[in-house]
Amino acid sequence: MEAVEAGVAAAAIRMDESALIRAAQHGDAGAFEDLVRLYDQSVLRLALNLLRSPEDANDIYQEAFLRVYKNLHTFRFDCSFHTWLYRIVTNLCLDALRKRKVRKEEGTMVETREGLLDRMDTVEEDRADGNPQRRLLSRELHSRIHHVLTDLTPRERMVFEMRHYQGMRLRAIGEALGTSEEAAKNCLFRATQKMRAALGDFV
Amino acid sequence: MTCEETKRLLPLLLYGELSFDEEEQVESHLEGCGTCRLALESERAIHEQLNAMQMEPHLTMLARSREQLRRSLLSSPPARESWWQRLRQGFTIHVHPIPAGLQPVGAVALIAMGFFGARMIPSSTTRQNNLADLGPMTSRVRYVEPADKSGRVQVVVEDTRERVLSGAVDDQNIQNLLLAAARDPQDAGLRVESVDLLKSSRECPQVRDALLNALQHDSNPGVRLKALEGLKNLSADAQVRQVLTKVLLSDDNPGVRTQAIDLLIQHKEDTMVGVLQELMRKEDNGYVRMRCQKALHDMNASVETY
Repeated sequence: MEAVEAGVAAAAIRMDESALIRAAQHGDAGAFEDLVRLYDQSVLRLALNLLRSPEDANDIYQEAFLRVYKNLHTFRFDCSFHTWLYRIVTNLCLDALRKRKVRKEEGTMVETREGLLDRMDTVEEDRADGNPQRRLLSRELHSRIHHVLTDLTPRERMVFEMRHYQGMRLRAIGEALGTSEEAAKNCLFRATQKMRAALGDFV
Repeated sequence: MTCEETKRLLPLLLYGELSFDEEEQVESHLEGCGTCRLALESERAIHEQLNAMQMEPHLTMLARSREQLRRSLLSSPPARESWWQRLRQGFTIHVHPIPAGLQPVGAVALIAMGFFGARMIPSSTTRQNNLADLGPMTSRVRYVEPADKSGRVQVVVEDTRERVLSGAVDDQNIQNLLLAAARDPQDAGLRVESVDLLKSSRECPQVRDALLNALQHDSNPGVRLKALEGLKNLSADAQVRQVLTKVLLSDDNPGVRTQAIDLLIQHKEDTMVGVLQELMRKEDNGYVRMRCQKALHDMNASVETY
């Protein structure tokens, strides 16, 4: 019974969504804004976690939704809007990650007037507790995870992010990246193997 | 299935991405193999550590991104000319005469309308009429902006499309919009800013009621603190004191409770002693207790009842 209700609710959301898309395609600015609000938080979260910088995440957000705005009239409902949007977002993120690889990863430390500051401290996340030994351990682990994440190839990083943190299914990830489920699965494999190699002795 | 094959599939097992058959095989291998069960535990531990790395964009960050996007869209041309033409054909603006009493003293200009609106405003109409032309408050207020040099605030409302309205903060229409925005169910940031703007009209009974309502019922402590700020000069009023007392004894935010003490002790009344003593009995926040103790001390009252 619950499954049926959930199905009906999902269908209602989809109907709402396609009505919004059509209205936005006909120039309804409010509909466009509502459409943005359906997805923008998860887009920002994806970009923030991938790029680990609020400024870069915001750049991706702006560029992605401007592209959606300019190209929405070409959307023909032959895939879900989510897939279409994520194709745009993942392409932008992959480009940004590739550029970073070229710049040899600038690191997360930024210089401020107050001295060196970890970029990651400027965003909300679970902080270590008051126990100094645990905090030290957590810091070391933190930095190891950070390094292994930056060592992944942009595609591995992307698939890992979408599966582990965004909870997307491999099939949807494959669709968004314009590849097969199998290829996405292989990327995830390689990413998790690298994770285990780097963190296995730590847990 | 060998141990090596099993270990290879463990991450996918945790992600729920194995086929039915693969999962069966891995499960049955795990039942009989302690080493692989240990490997699964360690894989789980890695997952948990990774989860702790997740960052959540701050709500102010999201609000800033939305605002920046909204601004770029305002200056961006519509994607296809035909949309605009279609819209223009189906859109007319009705302008009603404005009652003389409602006309604001300062010139009130309609600055822009939504994504395409700027181009729709007929140049021959008297623009100051549009503010009074709002009619009943059916639209949602998107956000409000503080007063500029000329002392006017801006309120962006959403009806069929966004409009930017500007006027003096005590203008009746602007005030109605701000009162509605102060109750917006979704956007706490909007409520904070609206309550902040309304503060200056605190003498108006409607505004005072809105501030009292926000203080008692708003789920966001930031909004409640703003409402308290707005009530600062009204702490002699009996109704305000009654609400402040209630908030002091029931609000779950220590910052709000501290501010409530500060406001209440602006006017020292004997009944305050009882209230503060009651607070001392139940208060568990050290700072609030300290403030409360000090207030009682200043009133030459004992900290506890005996």
